[in-house]
Amino acid sequence: METGNTHISVVYKVLLRALSRIRHLRPRVLALAAMPGIILALTGCHGSRGLDAFAMPQSFDTARQYEITFWAKNDTNKTQTAIYEKAITDFENLYPNVTVNLRLYTDYGKIYNDVITNIATKTTPNVCITYPDHIATYLTGVNQVVPLEELFDNEKYGLGGGEIRYDSPAKAEIIPQYLEECAFGGHYYAIPFMRSTESCYVNKTYVEKLGYQLPDTLTWDFVWKVSEAAMAKNQEGNYLINGQKVLIPFIYKSTDNMMIQQIRQKGTEYSTQEGEILLFSDATKQLLETVAEHAATGAFSTFKISGYPANFLNAGQCIFAVDSTAGATWMGCSAPLIDISADKLVEFETEVLPVPQFDPANPQMISQGPSVCIFNKDDPQEVLASWLFAQYLLTNEVQIAYAQTEGYVPVTSKARQSAEYQDYLAGSGEDNTLHYDVKIKATRLLLENVENTFVTPVFNGSASLRDAAGQLIEETVKSIQRSQTVDDAYYDKLYKDLASRYHLDGLSRPTETYAGEKDKLGPLPGPAVFLLVSLACAWALIVLYVISKKVRKK
Amino acid sequence: MQKNIQTEKQSRSTETPLSPNTSRKAGFFRCFSRCKGWLYLLPAMLFLGFFMVYPLIDVFVYSFEEGYNSASQTYFGTGTYNYSYVLHDPYFLQALKNTFLLVIITVPLSTGIALLISIGLNSIKPLRNFLQTVYFLPYVTNTLAVGLVFMILFKKTAYSDGLVNLLIQWFGGKSVDFISGPYWAKMFVLCLYTIWVVMPFKILILTSALASVNQDYYKAARVDGTSKFRTFMRITLPMISPMIFYLVITGFIGAFKAYSDAVALFGTDLNAAGMNTIVGYVYDMLYGDSGGYPSYASAAAILLFAIVLTITCINLLISRKNVHY
Amino acid sequence: MKETAKSNGLQTEIGNQADYDSIGKKARSRRRVLDAITYVFLALWAVIVLFPFYWMILTSVKSYGAYNSEYIPKFFTLSPTLQNYVDAFTAVPLGRYFLNTIIFTVITTAIMIVVITLAAFAFARLDFKGRNLAFLLFLSLMMIPNELVIITNYVTITNLNMRNTFQGLILPSVTSVFYIYLLKENFEQVPDSMYKAAKVDGTSDMKYLLKVLVPISKPTLITITILKVIECWNSYVWPRLITDDEAYYLVSNGIQEIRENGFGRENIPAMMAAVVVISFPLIVLFLAFHKKIMAGVSRGGIKG
Repeated sequence: METGNTHISVVYKVLLRALSRIRHLRPRVLALAAMPGIILALTGCHGSRGLDAFAMPQSFDTARQYEITFWAKNDTNKTQTAIYEKAITDFENLYPNVTVNLRLYTDYGKIYNDVITNIATKTTPNVCITYPDHIATYLTGVNQVVPLEELFDNEKYGLGGGEIRYDSPAKAEIIPQYLEECAFGGHYYAIPFMRSTESCYVNKTYVEKLGYQLPDTLTWDFVWKVSEAAMAKNQEGNYLINGQKVLIPFIYKSTDNMMIQQIRQKGTEYSTQEGEILLFSDATKQLLETVAEHAATGAFSTFKISGYPANFLNAGQCIFAVDSTAGATWMGCSAPLIDISADKLVEFETEVLPVPQFDPANPQMISQGPSVCIFNKDDPQEVLASWLFAQYLLTNEVQIAYAQTEGYVPVTSKARQSAEYQDYLAGSGEDNTLHYDVKIKATRLLLENVENTFVTPVFNGSASLRDAAGQLIEETVKSIQRSQTVDDAYYDKLYKDLASRYHLDGLSRPTETYAGEKDKLGPLPGPAVFLLVSLACAWALIVLYVISKKVRKK
Repeated sequence: MQKNIQTEKQSRSTETPLSPNTSRKAGFFRCFSRCKGWLYLLPAMLFLGFFMVYPLIDVFVYSFEEGYNSASQTYFGTGTYNYSYVLHDPYFLQALKNTFLLVIITVPLSTGIALLISIGLNSIKPLRNFLQTVYFLPYVTNTLAVGLVFMILFKKTAYSDGLVNLLIQWFGGKSVDFISGPYWAKMFVLCLYTIWVVMPFKILILTSALASVNQDYYKAARVDGTSKFRTFMRITLPMISPMIFYLVITGFIGAFKAYSDAVALFGTDLNAAGMNTIVGYVYDMLYGDSGGYPSYASAAAILLFAIVLTITCINLLISRKNVHY
Repeated sequence: MKETAKSNGLQTEIGNQADYDSIGKKARSRRRVLDAITYVFLALWAVIVLFPFYWMILTSVKSYGAYNSEYIPKFFTLSPTLQNYVDAFTAVPLGRYFLNTIIFTVITTAIMIVVITLAAFAFARLDFKGRNLAFLLFLSLMMIPNELVIITNYVTITNLNMRNTFQGLILPSVTSVFYIYLLKENFEQVPDSMYKAAKVDGTSDMKYLLKVLVPISKPTLITITILKVIECWNSYVWPRLITDDEAYYLVSNGIQEIRENGFGRENIPAMMAAVVVISFPLIVLFLAFHKKIMAGVSRGGIKG
């Protein structure tokens, strides 16, 4: 008998024998007795009372050393990384007792996940680039994020304060609209860092080739009309407009913005300020039906389904590419950053226009861009040091340098009106790197449209709602491409699916309160019952089998 | 092993009795020798206790703290609300279904194909070592990178239908979008990739198992003139059945824990692709957009543990019935 | 088998000879057909296994622009370049990540070998009260998925201030019940008589373990070492969670970084180059110890 082959049986015998050793009760009893103790100890460990509220210290203790962490987002752009690092070096020269540790991210979502993980271990960063939606969730913990009004208004260390070692802007020198965007629940929780909006990059050459004149402000009708007209093919299956096999006339990068802006342009919101969801309405259904209609002909697609709009635009395979103004650095045939091979580029004239509107007289566009928040710590001096660094990000050097990397605008009027920035704007077209004309056109678009920008309501869970809005469009287009029936019943089902996927049911709570109450759950759904019943039956059978074997042995 | 224990017990009972002094020392030694086992076990127990048992209890406790939210660090109270929530969540049930399908399809298939390949390998002489090395390659590489390659091969883009679709069209079929298309196509790619990843190990085990079967049996069978098929069914299969069952058991356990394979193919938003697995659901719950819910994640994880435990017990019982010596 | 006819000697004999020949030929041709089918089948699987690797290597020598411009993926490239390999090492400090990974792997594996040898010996040879219960508990720990324990371990390690340290990386990754089980099986293979003989000689258990059992089980130990090395080399989730200081990143973090690095978009060719470089040492390791691994696995019988 090969001993090598007996081991499974041996294991099994061991298991059975161990199971039958119920006689040896003492160790088991001891272990069982210890369990409640362990469990109690652990339950005590879960949950925390949060931190104490931040109290502004009288003065900044320059004798102590501080080490603060700064979590920053960059668009995988090495120039931006360099700007952060330079800002840190300059700040550390001004304040030698503060060391700043930089951690880079390329995705807001990952920053959000890591912050949440770190709240439990009290290792949140000091300064963090974030979105107000996420701050609303951080706020559900007690005193996690520092409210900033006291810091703003402090004479010594506030905005434009007397004892600041660099030239920080006064509160009035920050664009009021952007500052207001960072306020909710009655407090300021962040300072704006950079702002951008969405714009439509148009292949003007192709539009005129199709026989249309580009208006100053695009309308949805115009865009759909031109896109459909471009879908004409010749006999070999190549598109007439570009002579290639591939053409997607209208590509939208962030479908959540698409849905939100359309709803806003129609005169409603996608939720109330308190978080009551208005997204799943008939008006939304109509918007989706239009999208479905044009996705069916292949005239419309999204980034998640097809790829970067810039790549299609630059290869002459797209006419209307909607992306953030920050993405201007990649748009156009002479863009400084190109992601496709150079021989695929097509010559055309790029025009930068606001996103399509329903009412051209009242344009509405989303305002987006990173903001900076400060996390509370036990040591108020550390918080003050963090505030000093965060404020440094508002100085002209950092604002202008960062805004020049992509189509961002500085958030301070001080930076905007500076000679350096004005020179930069005036140099549009001088070269195809720093003064790339499409990028500057996009920047100017935002500068001229500040009053027409808006933000969405911020509450705990607004990030999920935003994702759900985008997914409405993504799912519709995907289903169309898979030739599924997209009708009223489909939309109803889609609403339900997304509401449960993003856990939107219990969302209507104001910020700064507990994260929800127990939702009333209905009866268990079929598969769940099946699972529980099968588990129970399986164990019953196992126990019966083992007992019967023992009985038979006896 | 039964025999060993019995003989050891006998040998100890036949030891000659000792004088009082030495018997005290012997008593000390005996106690020491009994505790020695625990001493040897101590390092392993420390590591496992700290990093496996403690987290398990922690997770268990979390699963009874209702609605624990990471951002707010608060919870409603204690009870079974978490389990109720998870069982009502259609995405958990979807993940359950996906995982079960994955397990049912990949474990038998991969074991079967591995068996065939091992038999084939054992029956040829030249190239055997080379092929064995080749077959082990997937075990060595980074699964995320290879998943990316699979995704590229199967994905339909605006420009091309992907290599696999080109093959299908060459054989006259219709091209299918495997990555963003119908459910059966996505399941197919996931199963294919999972099988591809688990094969090296199974082939390794089965080839060595086949090689270690006593050749005398085969010789006897040949003398009797048994057909190849009968030899296989009556001799080979029973001799390697312990190994096969072991692969099945560990295959089940491993397949239930599938997650990174799905992410490698479909990206991190598995719910949108409808291809979430139970472990993926646990992760999603930990990092949700509303602050992360370790409570729901723990409840789902405990449910998974219960399922795996049940199936392993069933497997062990079946193997006891069917494994031959 | 055809029975020989009773009748006419020589004719039947010649007839039988012809029968044997034809049977022999049929058997041989059947065998050849079977062999051919086997070879085809094996070759098919070899192609399925090798193709993604071929694709990876191919992508790693395509230039970034060429890769992104291919609408239809090509099976070959007209202008291979080693630029991606250079990029992989310069875009991120891959050399340092290699060093970190080697340190992590060596120390983890070393500690693991010590711990599981002791534990397996305890289960296999030493008789103590509660041994079977302990083994049953160890066995049930096998079923715990890693994802279950990861968050609590993260909190534990953070509270002990071991983030961004090698201790934090190594300690939770040391033990795995699978390896204890395998080694235990292997130890049990060694016949009792050896143990008894050693006891009669007065050898202590520890000496017996070190001088007798370990050398006999060397193939299995080598197998376990190599499998653990592969596991440590490719581990990603845990290092990603607890290190945010670049000085402690492992190669798997490095691959993700390469993927997200560069100007704006994913640099897939460079990432593939990094993967090829990273997998290379493991392949060499496997090739070097290939025979021992096969022996180790078959001796032990089962591996989890």
